[in-house]
Amino acid sequence: MATTQLKSDAIMDMMKEHLSTDAGKEVTKKIGLVYQINIAPKKLGFEEVTYIVDLKKGEVTKGKYEGKVDATFSFKDDDFVKVATGKMNPQIAFIRGAMKIKGSLSAAQKFTPDIFPKPSKL
Amino acid sequence: MAMRDLVNGGAACAVPGSSSSSNPLGALTNAILGSSSKAQERLKEIPNATRSGPGPQFYSEDQHLRSLPGSELDQPVLQPGAQGAEFFRGFRSVDQNGLGAAWDEVQRGGPMPPPMGPMYEPVQPTFEGPPQRVLSNFLHSFVESSRGGIPFRPAPVPVLGLSQSDKQCIRDRSSIMARHFFADRGEEFINAQVNALLSSLDIDDGIQARGHIPGRFRELDDYWNESQAVMKPGLHPADSWAAEFNQHGMDHGGPDAWVQSFEQQHGVNGWATEFEQGQSQLMSNQMRSMDMQNLAAMEQTRKLAHTLSQDGNPKFQNSRFLQFVSKMSRGELIIDENEVKPGPAPGEWATEYEQQYLGPPSWADQFANEKPLNPLVKLMMIGLAVVVDLHFCLGNLSHGPEQWADEFASGRGQQESAEDQWVNEFSKLNVDDWVDEFAEGPVGESSADAWANAYDEFLTERNAEKQASGVYVFSDMNPYVGHPEPMKEGQELFRKGLLSEAALALEAEVMKNPENAEGWRLLGVTHAENDDDQQAIAAMMRAQEADPTNLEVLLALGVSHTNELEQATALKYLYGWLRNHPQYGAIAPPELADSLYHADIARLFTEASQMNPEDADVHIVLGVLYNLSREFDRAISSFQTALKLKPNDYSLWNKLGATQANSVQSADAISAYQQALDLKPNYVRAWANMGISYANQGMYKESIPYYVRALAMNPKADNAWQYLRLSLSCASRQDLIEACESRNLDLLQKEFPL
Repeated sequence: MATTQLKSDAIMDMMKEHLSTDAGKEVTKKIGLVYQINIAPKKLGFEEVTYIVDLKKGEVTKGKYEGKVDATFSFKDDDFVKVATGKMNPQIAFIRGAMKIKGSLSAAQKFTPDIFPKPSKL
Repeated sequence: MAMRDLVNGGAACAVPGSSSSSNPLGALTNAILGSSSKAQERLKEIPNATRSGPGPQFYSEDQHLRSLPGSELDQPVLQPGAQGAEFFRGFRSVDQNGLGAAWDEVQRGGPMPPPMGPMYEPVQPTFEGPPQRVLSNFLHSFVESSRGGIPFRPAPVPVLGLSQSDKQCIRDRSSIMARHFFADRGEEFINAQVNALLSSLDIDDGIQARGHIPGRFRELDDYWNESQAVMKPGLHPADSWAAEFNQHGMDHGGPDAWVQSFEQQHGVNGWATEFEQGQSQLMSNQMRSMDMQNLAAMEQTRKLAHTLSQDGNPKFQNSRFLQFVSKMSRGELIIDENEVKPGPAPGEWATEYEQQYLGPPSWADQFANEKPLNPLVKLMMIGLAVVVDLHFCLGNLSHGPEQWADEFASGRGQQESAEDQWVNEFSKLNVDDWVDEFAEGPVGESSADAWANAYDEFLTERNAEKQASGVYVFSDMNPYVGHPEPMKEGQELFRKGLLSEAALALEAEVMKNPENAEGWRLLGVTHAENDDDQQAIAAMMRAQEADPTNLEVLLALGVSHTNELEQATALKYLYGWLRNHPQYGAIAPPELADSLYHADIARLFTEASQMNPEDADVHIVLGVLYNLSREFDRAISSFQTALKLKPNDYSLWNKLGATQANSVQSADAISAYQQALDLKPNYVRAWANMGISYANQGMYKESIPYYVRALAMNPKADNAWQYLRLSLSCASRQDLIEACESRNLDLLQKEFPL
């Protein structure tokens, strides 16, 4: 359904492409972790879409991960875009309750805005 | 005397062959004080030694927390470093110079200059020789008994010829030490032990122990009494004392120099505050040895506070939450069993603690119960008590040393308990279990209630703010207001490429003529080129209100919403473009507007492009549509087709570049942007996009000058500021983050010329 599409989908699609570039491979090498990102359209925990950002293999996939992820983040759509585009610091997002985290702290700390490519504007 | 040796390391009386040098207590005390017999001898030689400034490096300030709002009066954050040593050094410089000098001066003023100061007492020749060794051994056995917790048996001791002051000294000190040794025993046991010792030494238990010595230190007594008389309720006695002493010192001269200078440095209440700060630093050291986790937590907290303080949002800066964290870091608030409580105010802590815990054994218990008790910690405590006793030795004239020590000890306990409480609590909230705790349920249910709730208010505000977007925000102080022809001026400025100026002129125009659709439209275009989509959307919506069928407006709205990743809204406007098009409107069925599907719209536009392949605009809309569906290859070919028809459309070159960038063809994108910039050098959006393309290729250093360039032309481009900050930190230019946060363009332009 076109109307329920998430803004985050655009970022995730870009991320998928980005990981195939040299800069993206650099990110994979640097982080080497698997993140699960749950994105809810309006309310945290409701109608969540699950993405796996695999920074071990350099892949972005939709749906559950086979195995154990290093950290799981939950966002609302808008908040994920803000964090991924550097408008909101992940730590601030966490404190504001805009981001929920499960998993290892050290893995969570490596989750920074610079791993995501920034969208260019038409 | 030998008791003093015991804790003093025998420094003051260098008796040949004395066993005190191997005394572990003494060695420890020495290490703590860093004092040597030389230092004390020097002090004796110069009784009126000039003050060398009390503890110039009392503590190092934490820059990060200093930047927190409301932290101006903050005490420094506990440093995980070697602050304890610093703390002691600070004390020592006070004691050995200023305090000692003051002491000597007071002594001389008294009618009977007696050897009284426990540490600076001149060596009395009567103690040279065997009696001292006897006493030393005797006291050693007392200490030995403490280790086993065996009741001390009075032993016959030869007459030692102790002077009155020595007896008092031994009595005072032994009772203090007994409290440390027998921390886990009851008060009765302690008293029994001390009495056993004292009776052996023929020291009367009651003798001048707690009271002052009448007539001896009349001057100081007077000071004390006067200060007591004027003492305001709630004021810490020590504060009044220091203040009073200082006040009287004006006509007294020398001895109060240290108080004065201390006050100058640290303010009237500085004494108590400084002391407390020193304490907390010390505690942090002790805590480190016992609990590394806590310290890690504090470090984490500091980082957190730093991050918080860097959040640019002024609302957040002033938020109750940040104030709350600040307060908590200052100890004004503590978290106790999920309830936030006001922490003890400086100066009141000692009293408060006494009320709460009734005396010193509690804190000692705390230590003692932590089995196995590190012997070093125990020794530290004893050494500390000595230092403190020394520090307070002037006070014991009317108070008796135990009381001072008790007060100090209770202060310490309070400090620790408060510290522990909030550190533990905070680390529970934030560091160790933060991940799990927050993952378990909604914020409201977790133990973080207090601060999460405090923050809810802010969240609500923020959402309201967001909903309000779409409303055009006019600039303050617009010089074009009152301009005779702002529209003409705005068009002229836009043509010249002075976008920020053009926006002001056009704002003046639409303020004058709110129904001027072209004014709003051009204002919207200006903002879009200036890389501000929010304002562009707001202006375009006003343009659409004034002229609902304007195709350029509809396309611009479609583009801006695409940039904001708002797919459904973008689709609505792009479909509106088709429906309102005189030529293609017929192929757009009106019922489709109710349920827009990307595939349908794309099909219709493809149809339209076949009807009139020479219409560049259709290709442009198609390109935008394919951007929406992230079919970038199709989007690129649509824009390329359009560019063949309109090769001088700079915004088209930028669209091509942005599409290429988003489909990770950054190298191609940069050449497309270059085309756009050749056509319009002041195209802020293209400059910013250049920066993005470099940054996305991991070339953060190269991206910085482009962002700076864009910002120099439009300092209001918030996106560019955020991206610049990211690039600065990724390019290891943390030194300029500050300039970025304060939006210091001059400095940034100087540093990153293009």
